[in-house]
Amino acid sequence: MSIQFFGQFLIARGEVDAAHLREALTLMSSRNATLGDLAVAEGLLAPRDVARIHAEQHSRDLHFGDLCVEQGLLTAAQLVELLRMQNERRLPVGEALVELGHLASDRLALLLDVFKADQANYATGQIRLPDGLANHRAAEPTLSLFARFAMRLARIHAKVGAVHAFESAPEFADVSVSIPLTGVQGLDVALVSDAEFAERLALATTGLDESDLDPETVADGVGEFLNVFLGNVVSALSVEGHPMELGTPDYEAELVDGWTVDLAVETGRAALVLSLF
Amino acid sequence: MDRKLNVLLADDSQTVLTQLEGILNGIDDLAVVGLAQNGAAAIRMTNESMPDLVLLDIVMPGLDGLSALRTIRSMHPEIEVAMVTSLGGDSAKAEEAFKLGACQVIAKPFDAESIESLIEMVRSDLETGQALND
Repeated sequence: MSIQFFGQFLIARGEVDAAHLREALTLMSSRNATLGDLAVAEGLLAPRDVARIHAEQHSRDLHFGDLCVEQGLLTAAQLVELLRMQNERRLPVGEALVELGHLASDRLALLLDVFKADQANYATGQIRLPDGLANHRAAEPTLSLFARFAMRLARIHAKVGAVHAFESAPEFADVSVSIPLTGVQGLDVALVSDAEFAERLALATTGLDESDLDPETVADGVGEFLNVFLGNVVSALSVEGHPMELGTPDYEAELVDGWTVDLAVETGRAALVLSLF
Repeated sequence: MDRKLNVLLADDSQTVLTQLEGILNGIDDLAVVGLAQNGAAAIRMTNESMPDLVLLDIVMPGLDGLSALRTIRSMHPEIEVAMVTSLGGDSAKAEEAFKLGACQVIAKPFDAESIESLIEMVRSDLETGQALND
């Protein structure tokens, strides 16, 4: 299983169908107030303040409430109270399905336990990052999830090693694939490897036979591994409330600057190159 | 369903298309009627082949999967569309897909079982729809 949200999990298990989920999402949209709506309803903000803060969020990676406090529109105590109210009134997808009669409440409790146990496998850890990368939202989950996904997708043992300033492309760069993650501050993630590691990754990712592999298929397989891995990083960030967009693989990207992350792998040689944009 | 289930696949990765096609070719009474590598091609091929089901990747160059989903569902509401994507766990993207009419969002990496379950679900939905129209 991958990082997924509860609704998908329920459909995949045949507990509800897509029409039920759609009905629940509509109910949630009508019931769940945004922090801005709640602040307006409580008389703490004017609608024009909400619009202005939303516009500012396009260029600054801060939560709505944090920006309001920073600009003196809300006090910290008011923000805490609004968040408490929002959380108390929030209708989660499972409860919406119960309310609509599509799921029994005792069944919901059981399924939530199973779901949480599965998703706990994808909690991100802590990795020491150099200045410049340390505050980047996507850098830490990219590095902390890599080894887990290398094992799960390709059955390859990998360890993330030292992170150091990029000097030049590694001499073993037979295959190099890069995918951009865009957001307030973009991050390009390149996977660079020798032919041996790339072939192993491509075979495991695509399920093809060795006889079917040609250089183009190998590069495409590496690109698909990176796509699935970074898609899950983006999903993990989304769960934490930090949306980013996943780009498409670039097989000819020139590596010019950023940080090289050494990877210890059991077959061949590989590294990640991270650069901000 | 008495006839074959016709399926169109869209993903920018040729290896994913090959993988999906391999799984689907192992299912009885099913035909893969086309392979597209971007959203625009998926829409054009849907109009031409009128499949029962379209499997769409969300992130594709040019027109992305969600835009293609919106167009296909508005032009052909009778065609089922499922998303197969590495962004399956991004709840905002998955919720948007369901709101636009997707019947399921399958997270990559997928296995044969999840694709087979999807096909079973779509067959059952189509049979129910057909029975209601009879």
